[in-house]
Amino acid sequence: MAFFGLPERDLPISSIGERPGNIAEYTWGEESYDGLGDALQEGRDDLNDETFGSTGPVGKDFDFSSQAPPELQNDYQQPLRTQPRNATTASLESLWHDHSAFSVLPRSNGPSRAGERHRMSPAPTQTQSHRYASPSHIGHMTGHQSQIRARTLQEIESEMLLNAQRQREQERERQEQEREELLQLEIEQQRLLRQQELLQQERMREREHELQQLMLQEQQQLQQQLQRQRLLQQQQQQQLHSQHTPPPRMMPTSQSPRFLDQQRQLLLVQQQQHQEQQRRLQLEEQLRREELERQMLAMNLERTRVDSPLYNGRRTQASIPAEVQEAHFLQQAYERQLQQQHQQHRRQSSRSPANLNPQYMATLQQDRLQSQDLLLHQRIIAELAAHGELPIDMRNVSQADQEALRAEAMRKILETEKMEEKRRRKAAKIAHMARYNDLMTQSDKDFITRIQVSQLVTQDPYADDFYAQVYGAILRSRMGLQSQDERVLKFGSGGGVGLGLASKGGSRRPSAMQRMEQQVERIVNNARKREEEKSLHALHSLQGALGKTSGRSYKAAPRQLLQVDGAAASPTLSHANPTGHISKGPGETKGGAAEEAAKLGRAALGTAADTDNLVKKEPLTHRQTLVVLEELYDLVLRIEQLRRDQPPSEDDRENDEWKAEYDHLVDRLWNEIRVMVPLETSDPHPFISLLTPSKGKKILPRLTRHLTNQRLLTLLTLLVACFHQLDVVKQALILDDVHDTVERLEVERQTAAFLGSVMQSILPVVSTANLRLVTGLLGLLLDRSNIVAVAQTRPGLALLTLFLSRVEVIKQTIATTPDVSDSPTLEESQQWRMIFDHLFQLLAPHFLTLFPSVRMAHRVSNDMPLQTDAVDQPVWQFLAALALHGVSEQHHVLVASLREKILENVFSVNKGWVQDEEERQTKLANVNLFLHAVNLDSSQIAM
Amino acid sequence: MDVSGTGIQEPFDLIRLSLSERVFVKLRGDRELSGILHAYDGHMNLIMSDVEETIMIVDTESAMAGQGVVNVAKRKMEMLFVRGDSVILVSPPSRT
Repeated sequence: MAFFGLPERDLPISSIGERPGNIAEYTWGEESYDGLGDALQEGRDDLNDETFGSTGPVGKDFDFSSQAPPELQNDYQQPLRTQPRNATTASLESLWHDHSAFSVLPRSNGPSRAGERHRMSPAPTQTQSHRYASPSHIGHMTGHQSQIRARTLQEIESEMLLNAQRQREQERERQEQEREELLQLEIEQQRLLRQQELLQQERMREREHELQQLMLQEQQQLQQQLQRQRLLQQQQQQQLHSQHTPPPRMMPTSQSPRFLDQQRQLLLVQQQQHQEQQRRLQLEEQLRREELERQMLAMNLERTRVDSPLYNGRRTQASIPAEVQEAHFLQQAYERQLQQQHQQHRRQSSRSPANLNPQYMATLQQDRLQSQDLLLHQRIIAELAAHGELPIDMRNVSQADQEALRAEAMRKILETEKMEEKRRRKAAKIAHMARYNDLMTQSDKDFITRIQVSQLVTQDPYADDFYAQVYGAILRSRMGLQSQDERVLKFGSGGGVGLGLASKGGSRRPSAMQRMEQQVERIVNNARKREEEKSLHALHSLQGALGKTSGRSYKAAPRQLLQVDGAAASPTLSHANPTGHISKGPGETKGGAAEEAAKLGRAALGTAADTDNLVKKEPLTHRQTLVVLEELYDLVLRIEQLRRDQPPSEDDRENDEWKAEYDHLVDRLWNEIRVMVPLETSDPHPFISLLTPSKGKKILPRLTRHLTNQRLLTLLTLLVACFHQLDVVKQALILDDVHDTVERLEVERQTAAFLGSVMQSILPVVSTANLRLVTGLLGLLLDRSNIVAVAQTRPGLALLTLFLSRVEVIKQTIATTPDVSDSPTLEESQQWRMIFDHLFQLLAPHFLTLFPSVRMAHRVSNDMPLQTDAVDQPVWQFLAALALHGVSEQHHVLVASLREKILENVFSVNKGWVQDEEERQTKLANVNLFLHAVNLDSSQIAM
Repeated sequence: MDVSGTGIQEPFDLIRLSLSERVFVKLRGDRELSGILHAYDGHMNLIMSDVEETIMIVDTESAMAGQGVVNVAKRKMEMLFVRGDSVILVSPPSRT
């Protein structure tokens, strides 16, 4: 295609060659069109339209080639200006992008040639001369074209120049026709100028005044012009802007108002500069007009050389050096002005890179053109001087005037610049952020939201939002709010969205939540419709809506790593028991035995019956324990889930199914915790092994929730029977260590977990136990464990205190309501008395060592201050409970053995050996706790 | 022990066993952690609490005859997120 061929490029040049001595003129569409354009026609272009689209101008969306850096372009144009003849090497880009024939024309130096022409022209009219000096007109033309369609500034610039050139050509040939083409603005300008011309002729002597008036007029005129220009330039600027940062689908109209404001500010500065130019040009014009008059005069005088003003100029230049000097002076003034302008430009551009744009280059070029005009101007002045009639005073005054105006303008410019700089910085920031504003329509956003929400929809909204839900429930219960139902959106077909925590007070959140709910609703409705149509599930219909995702699913939830398949697991579970400890032999009557033990009081558990079938096993290893615990957690989670999914009560069949599954799972759970494993199978017992890790302790409350009371009782019995095997009991001595070792911290942690979880889970059983059971449990504990060792541990003390206080409660209940049906029989009471006495006997010699402070004091060599009162408190509580049950002899024993400790506390309080009030209170409270139980008070103790 | 019986199918299952247990974690950059494991994911990102970090610093400057002096720096953190790409190994602490 000819578009890419080199010959194409050569064409304009060769045509120039044909017309030496003249600039390449392409006058398509005019009357004098010489048909050269037809000659340029290349072949094989018939399919161009189909290839590149036939309708409308070619868009600039993919125009990357023509956006050459402005500097480059400038460099490229400079040589052109010095060598106007070669200027026709029009770039291929312009040829490509611009269907206008003029784009092929050289893009430079109209004015320089205009100057030449001006000199050569035999009798230039006033309109002509006026015409040269209207860059505003040029700008207007450009703007007008840019309205038609989007172009690059480079093109606009070239076209601007070309248009100016073309106009000059046309002027020379047909003034009449051209005048018709003039825009309204120009006509007005002309009219004004003509008026001015008349005035000028009339009042040649009153020039200063007139000039001022003229300037005012011109300014007014310019204001109008600028109004229009501003609009056009805005468009250009926007175009420019979008070139710099072209996000997809960015429309010029989508600019933020602030951005436009900023643009307006920019334009204002530019326009002020422009005004100055205008003013200068005005002066120039006047001078030129004067010159023309002189020329006319000269023509009259020198009829022989009427046609050669050039000669005239040369002659005068040579002959009158004084006048030339003046002209030089004027030129220098202009040049200074120009320099200032350039500097200003440079300052601006250094601040904002946006100014390094073709438009600035265009103005720069304009300036250059003007400086070339100055050359011409100089000659004009010289010519004027030749006639000796140059009104010097007018020039001087006008210059001073100009100076003042310029100073004013400069001040304004600086002010505006300062303001503008601020604003620009702000606006740039905003513009940067706002670049992507309104990129998405509301429907786009909705679409994305829909996709996102659809990803949130899960089969099990509660479990997927588990932590938030549980945390929310805890929070609500802590705040004493009525716990609402689960914060979950559920849809018909089992799907749903977890809503997380309830948002409180947020202004944005609720609306977002509402919107999401609406979205979800819409999705669900759509899905239902589609389901009806395709009988597809809602999830599937949206699956792959954004394309297929490879690999893992989108869900952020941690991957489920242990896949315990519900159906498959049930048969394998008993087999999956890693220990194989369960010996489901005929001796599976452990629970009954425990019951028996309770009945028999302190009689030993009927383990002897089991020992026949007993298979001694190694205790669970730590790892086995952990494996079992993981399975337990899985089971518990499934059971909890099942409970949440409990069907509404009306459907019997469904309910039965659910019940069956639930019971099945609970049975598995019961087996997993290995409570029914014979007592002597291993030491520690498997169940106790399971309680060793802290997570084992922590699962117990969640687990016992699902167990029947009978099973709970068995569990409690086993726990009591194996109490000495517990890690927290075994390692309790470490707690007496005064140093914060890692082990101590670990035991501390375990103990806290035990007290918080295990004791918590057995509390409901004990608190409803009858006297017989408590007696049995205490007997069991005394029988199987070293009660002194157990009592020296916090869990042991807690358990003992629990038993004692339960019995106390029973006693009180009997006292208040004697007619309770399950009131203990006399035999039971006697049994309890016996067991209690036994306990007291066993503990009596060790009362003091029950105190951690006493035990710790043994370990500490020097008297380092120990904050032991808080640790001692449970001991005081236990002793108080003990005292409540004790008879008076026992009280004596208690007080006698504790005397030392009591006195120590009371003394330290009374003698001020305490660090603060709090410690004093604690010490006193501890002592009084016990003393009140024996009907004494710390105040009774004489110092 | 029967592998299928323990329900352990992949390495991560072993890490799961150590959840809420104290673990020893070796990290890149001569670092070691000891703390209670609370959570992990497929990238081996870990959430740990009560962590003690041990950093080995080999001081080659003051070394004599190529023998680097190893300095050990320790610090404790209450809660820690460990990015998985630095994890070399996770193990239960050695039991004595």
